[in-house]
Amino acid sequence: MANSKLQALWNHPAGPKTIHFWAPTFKWGITIANILDSSKPPEQVSYAQQAAIMGSGLIWTRWGTVITPKNWNLVSVNFGMAVTSMFQLARKTQHDYLSSNDQQGEQAASESIEDQ
Amino acid sequence: MASFRAFWNSPVGPKTTHFWGPVANWGFVAAGLADMSKPPEKISGNMTAAMCVYSALFMRFAWMVQPRNYLLLACHVSNETVQLYQLSRWAKGQGYLPQKKDEAATQ
Repeated sequence: MANSKLQALWNHPAGPKTIHFWAPTFKWGITIANILDSSKPPEQVSYAQQAAIMGSGLIWTRWGTVITPKNWNLVSVNFGMAVTSMFQLARKTQHDYLSSNDQQGEQAASESIEDQ
Repeated sequence: MASFRAFWNSPVGPKTTHFWGPVANWGFVAAGLADMSKPPEKISGNMTAAMCVYSALFMRFAWMVQPRNYLLLACHVSNETVQLYQLSRWAKGQGYLPQKKDEAATQ
């Protein structure tokens, strides 16, 4: 019985033999990259890139619940992207603008503005 | 007008989810382009490599999904190009790729 269930999953039209499985599965790489980068200095975080990840993550989280059939894999991976990017954005914003050491904050802020 | 109306009412048009999701993903391309002028030290190797694999997979996904989604395909082709370029900039900055003549001397 277990065998035929596994076989059904293996041969599923959106299963592991298809791109419909691997593309959304690999999308977790973006969230994992963000988690790995969470310990990097905030100067190396890109406002533009994290904003793009957050926007895309939020929109696809919503759409994953609206499409037929609901795709919880899609919802969860995009939710993960949105959460990690918001964390990165919060970290960078706090470092650049809300730092208790004002001089350091201003320096960092002008640094990131110059680079953009 | 007729072609606009056809687009407006298309099964992958602006009244559907098949349209706005891919539109959101153009943000990655825009961000990549905005970051082209940044010094390579600021590029995240992790994230850029992840984006390269991600867009490669989703080019195929956009082609195979029903209905075929050309907007998503175009988005990921563009993103793949931009991210590969950024990855090469990062790799050169890290010393993984041979640099041009005079820069190699300083290494």
